[in-house]
Amino acid sequence: MIVTRKALARRTFLRGIGTTIALPFLDSMVPAMALAGTAKKAPVRMAFVYLPNGMDMTGWHANYEGKLHDLPRTLKPLDPFKEDITVLGNLTHNAGRALLDGAGDHGRCCGSYLTGIQPRKSLVDIKAGISFDQIVANQIGNQTRFASLEVGLEDARQAGDCDSGYSCAYTNNLAWRSETQPLPPVLDPRALFERLFGNGVVLSPEARARQGRYRRSILDFVTSDTRKLETSLGPTDRRKLDEYLSSIREVERQLEKAEKDNSQIDPHMEKPYGVPADFAEHFKLMTDMMTIAFQADLTRIMTFLVTREGTSRSYREIGIPDGHHPLTHHRNLPDLIEKVAQINNYHMKQFAGWVEKLKSIKEGDGTLLDNSMIVYGAGLADGNKHLHEDLPTLIAGRGGNYIKSGRRVVYRKETPMCNLFLTMMDRMGVHTEHFGDSTGRLEGLDLT
Amino acid sequence: MRPARSLAWFCLSGLLQAAAPTVTKSATDPAAFQQNVQPVLSKTCTPCHNDRLASGGLNIASFTAPASLAENRDGWDLILRKIRTGEMPPKGIPKPPAAQVDALMKFVQGEFDKADAKIKPDPGRVTARRLNRNEYSNTIRDLLAVDFRAEKDFPTDDSGFGFDNISDVLTISPVLMEKYVAAAERIAARAIGGDPLPKPLEFSYHIKDKTIRRLDFSTIEATHRIDFDAEYTIRIGLPGERAPDARPVTMNIWMDGKLLHSMQVETKPSKLVYFDPYSEEQVKLYLPEGDHVFRVGFVNDDFVKGLSEKDAYSNKKNKFLNSIVFVGPYPSNVEKASRKKILVCDPKSGPACVNTIVATLARRAYRRPVTKAEVASLLRFVGIAQKEGQTVEQGIQLAIEAMLVSPHFLFRVEHDVDPADPTKIHRISDTELATRLSYFLWSSMPDDELLTAAESGKLRVPAVLEHQVNRMLADTKSAALASNFAGQWLETRNLDSVKPDPQKFPDWNPELRDAMKTETRMFFDTVLRENRPVSDFLDAKYTFLNETLAKHYGIAGVTGPDFRRVELSSDERGGVLSQASVLTVSSYPSRTSPVIRGKYVLQNILGTPPPPPDVPALDEAAVGNAGSMRQQLEKHRANATCASCHSRMDPLGFGLENYDGIGKWRTTDGKFPIDSSGTLPDGRTFKGPAEMRAILIAQLPDFTHCLIEKMLTYSLGRGMERYDRRTIDDMNRQLGANGYKFQYLIHEIVQSLPFQSRRGEMIISQNKNSNHAVLTVKEPSR
Repeated sequence: MIVTRKALARRTFLRGIGTTIALPFLDSMVPAMALAGTAKKAPVRMAFVYLPNGMDMTGWHANYEGKLHDLPRTLKPLDPFKEDITVLGNLTHNAGRALLDGAGDHGRCCGSYLTGIQPRKSLVDIKAGISFDQIVANQIGNQTRFASLEVGLEDARQAGDCDSGYSCAYTNNLAWRSETQPLPPVLDPRALFERLFGNGVVLSPEARARQGRYRRSILDFVTSDTRKLETSLGPTDRRKLDEYLSSIREVERQLEKAEKDNSQIDPHMEKPYGVPADFAEHFKLMTDMMTIAFQADLTRIMTFLVTREGTSRSYREIGIPDGHHPLTHHRNLPDLIEKVAQINNYHMKQFAGWVEKLKSIKEGDGTLLDNSMIVYGAGLADGNKHLHEDLPTLIAGRGGNYIKSGRRVVYRKETPMCNLFLTMMDRMGVHTEHFGDSTGRLEGLDLT
Repeated sequence: MRPARSLAWFCLSGLLQAAAPTVTKSATDPAAFQQNVQPVLSKTCTPCHNDRLASGGLNIASFTAPASLAENRDGWDLILRKIRTGEMPPKGIPKPPAAQVDALMKFVQGEFDKADAKIKPDPGRVTARRLNRNEYSNTIRDLLAVDFRAEKDFPTDDSGFGFDNISDVLTISPVLMEKYVAAAERIAARAIGGDPLPKPLEFSYHIKDKTIRRLDFSTIEATHRIDFDAEYTIRIGLPGERAPDARPVTMNIWMDGKLLHSMQVETKPSKLVYFDPYSEEQVKLYLPEGDHVFRVGFVNDDFVKGLSEKDAYSNKKNKFLNSIVFVGPYPSNVEKASRKKILVCDPKSGPACVNTIVATLARRAYRRPVTKAEVASLLRFVGIAQKEGQTVEQGIQLAIEAMLVSPHFLFRVEHDVDPADPTKIHRISDTELATRLSYFLWSSMPDDELLTAAESGKLRVPAVLEHQVNRMLADTKSAALASNFAGQWLETRNLDSVKPDPQKFPDWNPELRDAMKTETRMFFDTVLRENRPVSDFLDAKYTFLNETLAKHYGIAGVTGPDFRRVELSSDERGGVLSQASVLTVSSYPSRTSPVIRGKYVLQNILGTPPPPPDVPALDEAAVGNAGSMRQQLEKHRANATCASCHSRMDPLGFGLENYDGIGKWRTTDGKFPIDSSGTLPDGRTFKGPAEMRAILIAQLPDFTHCLIEKMLTYSLGRGMERYDRRTIDDMNRQLGANGYKFQYLIHEIVQSLPFQSRRGEMIISQNKNSNHAVLTVKEPSR
């Protein structure tokens, strides 16, 4: 018998998840959490949504502080959710500045964004710092299948250099597992689907168990082989193999976790094929899966590199055939600035779609959004001048009923972005006194 | 491109100094330094490059002592180059007397030559390097005859020095490890092919669903993922009919650009259907798993020429294509190539055969002889599977999975005699050399002949090595050089991601893009295979065109989709800088950029690192929006800080202004006439791209130096270091003495010290706790 399936179905496989379909969170998560003795309280999640090339700041800034009412142009798409967002002013990344390292603001601002450290200006000998999301992942990541999830929409340039002597590793990645090991984002929806939910083939429990045993014995085998091999090598070679070993351990941990749950999560969506040519569709597809990953507690930490710093992506779907990066160097021409503003607005529209989805998912007596901190921001303020102060930053969600949202809070000038990171680490249950150039916590997020 | 110097070098030079103290320092006579160097430095450089201003990030104070020649060689190299090219002093700053400049240049160069002569030859060392995505796919193809596309599954490889095979930046993340494990399972299953196929499904692509792309009146295309290596029925929907006397046409089906099947199709009325004439053709074919682009079209379809769009898609006036349907998978009777490759005997015949199968595979997978213990540890997996109640074939499948995740497969590890002794220079083993060769020329594993030559210890016999290189170049697998080396060197890989504005460039379409790619690929391949002088890259009287591209270039007499060699009769085109691929990737989506193109020429042709592209102090508001791009940029250059950089970069870009943003020839840009003349900082002038090419040819050794550096970087998988300079200079001289033949260059690289040898590295004792054994000496500020 032949089952007919229109190819079209593959493109429209996204059914309205969230509102209409009960997801496994309720079924499979509650028992797991009951074991941990936290059945009543959903975990706090955090995510970073990174936008490149700065923003048109005139469209970002409201001319008031405190309770949000009229939103400025770029933030307009978030109007229905203005009670759920907090806009932060004057957060600064000093590590993004030149500080004697010369040009390369794009490479530097992305490399320092979550690491809080000025990356080494090098093409190969890359070195930034461990990013703060990974510090959190190291502490709490063992509670979920994936310690963290890295997602993106734009493939790297296939050739050429990236920015003024900065390795492409700084602009290709947001999360850094160690100071030399960036974590590449998953770009292809199919690859993300397979990572989260398996390759779409439903295995019998026995077959799945056998696959687990096989994987385990193979990983044991290669681990012992690697250790033998390492003994005869010099330190830099050993470092490469150590990276490999530590990645093996992470996969082993995932296996163990999966065995404990012993269930395949059914995402209630068809496996996607290929990368949608349409930006909005790609964005939606990835964030839909990210939503499920949060909802099913597959991970609590995500970074989302929407497009890459310095990208020349064009947005023809909204009538902008010019490259994003060249546009941001607008020479103060009004029509170019207008196009930058439109791109910023377009990105925000997509983000608003994600916020809406997170908000539509009930969790306990709140929503998934309430239990999340989704930071939306850029590593540059004005992209024309490459400014690293007053970075456009907002948080969607309340981080588990902590943040008193619906406000615009303007901090003292030059307040380190890392102060926000310290505060978020607290919310994630990881306490440390310093990160990057932090000078303390970000006060007042929980006050009205 | 300037590598940050790693401690490996730093320590080595430290050692050399320790062994023969003050070798470099005492060599410079302070009085001579004062006399030759100081005058220019203090009068011309210091006013801007001082403590306070440090223009361009450079403070000359650190270059005023004789010792700086040895201590800050990279900085000095930069200074010399800036002076030599005329970039410094910039316009507006008085030039020092020529005699003073000469004296400085000669003196410093002389000191460098003296110092270099004393440096011990050093092959450097390449860090253990994992296979990148291309190498992984090719290796799977050659090892198991399985078509696997790692680029669809694995995260992007980071690149360094413009190449994605640089060991230091190829890291392994947990995501990649997950993918390795999953890919190994999938690939091994496909190779053995024992898993049952699911029920067939039908996938239909139809013009009305917008799931099909129309390329022209007679060609359609769809992207489809084949889920299993199996047979599939492909059904093509053909609405309409042509005139009663219309002749049959040839319909071709291509997959990923390769012809799969060809058949004759009747186009005249069938006399069976009167209303909505429609017919179908179908064929059953074996298709490999993966994402594929299927293209179906009538070839040489003269009938549609001259039809209007309306008529072309009218089922009364024409027969055309409008749907592709795939039905499958169906089991295939054809024995899989992978099984033939793996099952060299019948595994059911007993353990001896299983042993042979696993041992044979392991040797090829690990690219070296394997020990009995290694084979035994792999055979254990056959036992594990059998204990689970699976067949011996499934056991072999599991053993393959293990091999594919093993560090011996995923990494190219080279062993040192003494990894802790940087002075112990030694030749790499013959099998390691075979591996270097095959990944350099093929981006894949050594084949049997190469591996056997290495194992027999004969690979280093000069005649044998030469023969092997020639044989490998002649093999089709050396096309990897065009796609991986040239694709990155010339940045033409970016053609897949550029998106020219359709309003400004209505001619842009996937056909044109593919044609551009093909031209450059075939051109590179020809220079390589025909062993042409590398100056052909800068200017040549031939290129490769099909009708699409010939039309784009305004060259008459080329018809049809097939590419052929075309002799160029005008001087509008010649060499890579006039090829649409290069001109497109060095443009913005909506316009050309002389700055980007100038930077491109400096970086990829002349091998000089361009200055930082973003000068933060630039007052962009001062640049008006009236006037041509050239006028705008010249205004921008009026600023002295910007001027020094742009004085070199821009003329080279302006010289290419006759080509628009997708490489079409033009003489006006909107209402402004094109002025493609230029004056280089050293005073040479040219008018138009042909004269600019002549200037580039006149400095051929600069180009070949750049090409050697790029190719050596690619072949070794590491950046160039101080100690490579001599190798590169020697090679460049030899290449010149041998007519600049491309294959000569490849042989030279293969025979060079860094390709043949390596050494141990310095171990830093005080840094034991950290996993960063390599420190970096920061680049000098620019």
